[in-house]
Amino acid sequence: MTRILDPTLRATPPRAATGAARPALLSGATIGLLANGKTHGMAFLDRVAEHLRARHGVGELLRATKPNASAPAPADDAALLAKHCVAVVTAIGD
Amino acid sequence: MPATTHPGIDVDDAWQAIEACFAQKWTDGLPVVPPTEPLVERMLAAGPWRADEVLLHEPVRDRTVTAWHAAINAVMAGCKPEYFPVVGAALIAIGDPEFTLHGPATSTGGAALMVIVNGPVRERIGLHGGGNLFGPGIRANATIGRTLRLVLLNCLDCRPGVLDQSTQGWAGKYTLCFAEHEAASPWEPLHVSRGFRAGQSTVTVFAAESNHNVLVHAAREPETLLVAFADTMAALGSFSPGRSVIVFAPEHAQHLKRAGWSRARTQAWLYEHARRPLADLKRAGKIEAQFLVNPDTRRWLYGPESDRAERGPDAADAHARVLPGDERIFVHRGLGPDDMLLSVGGGAAGGHSAFFPAWSRGRSVPFVTKEVPGEVPA
Repeated sequence: MTRILDPTLRATPPRAATGAARPALLSGATIGLLANGKTHGMAFLDRVAEHLRARHGVGELLRATKPNASAPAPADDAALLAKHCVAVVTAIGD
Repeated sequence: MPATTHPGIDVDDAWQAIEACFAQKWTDGLPVVPPTEPLVERMLAAGPWRADEVLLHEPVRDRTVTAWHAAINAVMAGCKPEYFPVVGAALIAIGDPEFTLHGPATSTGGAALMVIVNGPVRERIGLHGGGNLFGPGIRANATIGRTLRLVLLNCLDCRPGVLDQSTQGWAGKYTLCFAEHEAASPWEPLHVSRGFRAGQSTVTVFAAESNHNVLVHAAREPETLLVAFADTMAALGSFSPGRSVIVFAPEHAQHLKRAGWSRARTQAWLYEHARRPLADLKRAGKIEAQFLVNPDTRRWLYGPESDRAERGPDAADAHARVLPGDERIFVHRGLGPDDMLLSVGGGAAGGHSAFFPAWSRGRSVPFVTKEVPGEVPA
C-alpha cells in the first residue's frame, strides 16, 4: 500500500477569521460601505444603504472604494472603517 | 500501512492512485503523477527552500503556499526535480504583491500564467525556445507551466466555476512556459533588459490572453514588417490600456537585426502605430462610463488633454456617443512604449510571430522578473 499526498491546503487551513460581534441594533449606527472598485460597486451599495436606512434607520454612512479590485482594501481604509463603523457592507459590482 | 505521517490517500497500485487524484479533484483534467512522499522529498531537495518556507502568499484569501505543497504539485505535474528551482521562482514571481494574483487567477478574463525563462538554466534543464515553443512535446515547458495551474487549483481553490470564473478560458491555462531563444534575438536577452546579468537565470511572468498570430512573409524593412504587428495590437477585440508581450519569430527578428533597430526603437514604433481613433472605440462599445471618471483611463483616452474629457450635458453618455473631434483623438494600446515586452522564440523557418495581450479590459498586471536560484550542490 502506498500513500499519495494531499496537494491541497485542506489540512492547513488559513488563519481563522474571528467574526465580529453582531450589533444588537442598527438604528442610528454608522455603517461602512466598501466597494470593490469595479464599475457599479458603489451604486449597488448605495441601494443597499437605502434599504438599511428605510428598514433599520441606520445613521451615517462611511464610503470607501478599493483602488484595485484584485487587492485587499488599503490598510488605512480598513482601519478607518473598523474605527468608526458598527458594521461594514462590502460588495462586488461590475 | 504506509510509514508517512503526511495527510493523503492510501492506494494499492498506480492506476488506483491516478483515479484517486481524479476523484479528489486534484487534477487539471489530465492524469497526474501520484505524489508519493519519496518523490516529493526528491523534488523539494532539488531546490534551496525548506519544506515550510513560504513561496507564495495570496493576501485576498490569506492562502500560503509553502515549498512542500509546491513540491507535491510539481511531482503531480510531471516535473523532474531539477525543474524545481524554476517552479519556485515562478511561484515567487506570481506571488509578488505587484502581480495581484487574485485578479488573473479568478477573473472572467480567463488569463493564462505565462512564464518566460532566460539564462543558463534553460540549457541545463532542457527548456525549449525553438520550434513549436508554445505547443506540445517538451517536458520542461509543459510541466513547469502546469505546476502553476495545479497550485492555483489545489492550493488557492481556483477551480472552474468556483473561484475561477473565466467566461471561456483558453488552452494556455493548462500550461504556458517557454525559454527565450536568446541566440536568435537581435537584442540583449530579455532578463538583461530588465536589470539582470546574462549569467543569471530568471523567470518573467505575465497574465496573458491567448496569442494572436502575426503572419508576415514578404516584408524586409522594419517599417513594413511591423505594420502587421501594430495592426494586430490595435484590433478592437483585445484593445485596452493593458500591457503586451510580443514574441518575434527568428525570421522576423533577423529583419530587425539587419536594420539595426534597437529594442527601444522597436517598442516606440509599435506604440506609435498601435492606435485607434477614439470614435472607433466608441462605435464598438469599448469605452465604459467608469473610464471617464478614472484618472488613468482618462489619460489613456485623452492623453495630456485629459482635462478636455466631456462634461456638462454630454457627460452622461459621452462614453458611447461619438462627439466632434473624436476622429482626431488617437488612443494607443497601453500607456507607453514600456508597456511592451519584446522577446524572441520559435523555429528557424516561418514568418509567424505572436502577440499576447494582457488579460483584462483595464491595466491588468505588470511584468515581474525573479531570479532562479542556483542548484543545490549534490
